[in-house]
Amino acid sequence: MSLASEGARRRTWSTVRPLLLLLPAYALLIGVFAYPVLDSMWRSVTEPTAGWGNYAWALGSSGNLAVIGRTFGNALFATMVCVVLGFPFAYLMVISAPRTRAILIAITLVPFWTSLMIRTFAWIVILQDRGIVNSLLAGIGLGPLELLRTNTGVLIGLAHVLMPFMILPLYATMNSIDLRLIMAARSLGASPFSAFWRIFVPLSVPGLAAGSLLVFIQALGFYITPALLGSPADSMLAQSIYSQVNGLLAWGRGGALGVILLTVTLVLLGAVALLIRIGHRRDVSVGIPGQ
Amino acid sequence: MAKNLVKWPVLGVALAWGLTSCQASASAPEIDLGSGPAKVGTIKANSLKGVTLTLTSWGGVFQDGQVKAASDPFAAESGATMLQDGPTEYSKVKAQVEGKNVTWDIVDTDVIWASKQCGPDGLFMDLDMTIVDTSHAPANLVGKCYIPAMQYGYVVVYNTTKYPTPPTGWVDFFDTTKFPGKRAIAGFEDIAPGVFEGALLADGVSPDKLYPLDVDRAYKKINPLRSSLIYWKTGAESEQMLESGEADMALVWSGRAYAAAKNGAKIKPVWNQALIIADALGVPKNAKNPKAAFAYLNYYLGATQQAKLSELTSYSPVHDEAKPQLDAVAKQYLTTDPQIRKQMIPSNSEWWSKNYDTELVRWLDWLKG
Repeated sequence: MSLASEGARRRTWSTVRPLLLLLPAYALLIGVFAYPVLDSMWRSVTEPTAGWGNYAWALGSSGNLAVIGRTFGNALFATMVCVVLGFPFAYLMVISAPRTRAILIAITLVPFWTSLMIRTFAWIVILQDRGIVNSLLAGIGLGPLELLRTNTGVLIGLAHVLMPFMILPLYATMNSIDLRLIMAARSLGASPFSAFWRIFVPLSVPGLAAGSLLVFIQALGFYITPALLGSPADSMLAQSIYSQVNGLLAWGRGGALGVILLTVTLVLLGAVALLIRIGHRRDVSVGIPGQ
Repeated sequence: MAKNLVKWPVLGVALAWGLTSCQASASAPEIDLGSGPAKVGTIKANSLKGVTLTLTSWGGVFQDGQVKAASDPFAAESGATMLQDGPTEYSKVKAQVEGKNVTWDIVDTDVIWASKQCGPDGLFMDLDMTIVDTSHAPANLVGKCYIPAMQYGYVVVYNTTKYPTPPTGWVDFFDTTKFPGKRAIAGFEDIAPGVFEGALLADGVSPDKLYPLDVDRAYKKINPLRSSLIYWKTGAESEQMLESGEADMALVWSGRAYAAAKNGAKIKPVWNQALIIADALGVPKNAKNPKAAFAYLNYYLGATQQAKLSELTSYSPVHDEAKPQLDAVAKQYLTTDPQIRKQMIPSNSEWWSKNYDTELVRWLDWLKG
C-alpha cells in the first residue's frame, strides 16, 4: 500500500464522513417523504388503468379547475393580508422599546405555539351566527354577517394562522437593518417617507420574500382550516385530495391532484427564486450599500 | 472509527430485513373456542389469553359505549387484550389490507360501505358462521362479511323555540317559506340514505315506490334548498350545531340528537318517515387473528351486551330480546320502540351499495357548488 493511495483514501474519507452524518436524516426523508410522494406519482399514472386519465379528469372538470383556482386565489389573498398587517407589526417590533417589543413578540408567538386545531375551533366560536362578532354587530344594530362556513371565514382563518410565518422572518430581517442608514438619508435631505420607502423597505425585501413564500406555500396545502371554517362549496385542493383518497378510495385521482399541486408550487418557487436572484444581481451592480 | 461507520448502514439494512422477515413468519396462534355451534353473546372462558384485538370505531359516546358494553367484559371473560382506535377511515382499512399489515381487527363502518366489501374484491373477510351466531340479529342487517353494530334512525330534529308549530315531516323540511331557517345535513366523503329519500318523499313519492331512487328528481328538489343548507362533517359537529342553535332543523343520526337533547339542546325528533339505518362491524382481510375477531363479533351481538350498549348510547339494539333500561329522553330516540318504528321507513342498502360510487362522485361534485 503506497503512501499516495493512503492519502487519497484519507481525502475520500474526509469528504464522505460528513455525508454519513446525514444518513439518518436522509433515511427519514426517503422513508416518510420521498417514497410516499413517488408512490403517489406512480399511482396517479397507473390506477385504475395506466395512462394520463387521472390528469385528464383533474384538469378537465370545471369543478376541479374551480377548486384549483380557489386554492391559489385564497393562498394569494392570505399572503397579501399577512403582508399588509404583518409589515407594520414587524416594523413596530423593531422600533419599539424593549418592553413593548417583548409584548409584541409574545402576541406573535403564543398563537404560534397553540395547536392549529384549537385556534381554528376558536374561530368557529368567534365567527358563528351567535358568536362574538355577530353579537357585537347586533349591539350596534348591524348584521348578522355570514362568516362561518363561507370563504370569508376561510380567509380570516388562513391569514390568522399563518401570520407568525410572515412576522417572524420580517422581524429578523428588519432587526438587522442599520437604522442609521435612515438617519443618513434624512440628513441628506430625504423626507421621512422617502427615507422609509427608498431605504428601509428595499432592505426588508428578503424578509418579505421569505415570509410571503412561507405563508403562500403553507396556505396552498391547508386542510383543517378550510374544512372547519368553510362550507364544502369553499373547499380547497387538500380537501379534494382527501375526498378522492378517503371517500372514493380513488388514490390515482388523489395522486394526480397532489402532483398538480406540487408541480405548480415548485414552478412558482422557481420563478420567485429566479426573481430574487435577478434582483440581487441588480443590487450588486448598482452598488446599494448592504449591511 | 472509519471502519465502524461503514458497518452502520449494513447493520441497519440487516436489522430492517430481520424485522420484516419476522413479521412475515409470525402466524396466528392456535385458538380453542370450544366445541358445538356458536351461541350468541358467549365466549369460552380464558380461550384468548395472549391475543390482542383492536376495535376501531367512530369515537364519541358510541365508541365509549361499545368498549364498556362489549370490549371490557369480553376482555375479562376471554383473557384477550382489547385495544381501541379511531375514527374509522376507509382509506386506512384499504392501506392496511393491501399492505398486509392489518392493525384494526374489527372495524365499525357504514352498512353500505360494508356491503360493498364482501367478496373477492372487497376488504372484509366473510363471516365464519361456526363462530358467529347471527340468529337473533335483524336478518336484513346481517351481511356475508359483516354484522350490524347497532341500528338507529336518520331523523330530522327541529329547534322547539324557533318553531312553535312543529314541522311534521319531509314536506316541511323542504318548505323554507313556512319554515324559514338553516337546515344542517351531512356533507362529507360518505353518502348514505337520507336527504335523497327525504327529497323524494317530500316530492310525493310513496314510501313503497322509493327504490330504485330517482336521484335526478331528488336533486331537483334539493337544489332550491341549497341556500338554507349547512353541512356537518362529523357527528360531534352536528351535535354542536344543535346545541349552539346554529341549525334550526337538522338531519342527524338519532344518537347525536339524543346526546344534544341530553346536553340541554331544545330539540325534538320528527319520526314520521325517518329512515332506519345501521352501522356494521367487519373483520378486514389479512387480519392477524380472524378467529378471535369473529369471536368478538359473536360476543358483541349478545342480548346483555346490546341492552347495555343501548343504555349507554341510546342507539337501538340488534338482538331481538335485548331489554335496555332507558331514561325518558333516551326513550324518545329508541328506534326499536314499536310506536316509533311503525312511523319509520327502511332504507335499501342493496340499492345504495350498487350505486354508491357513482352517487358519491355526483354528491361530492354537487357539494363543491
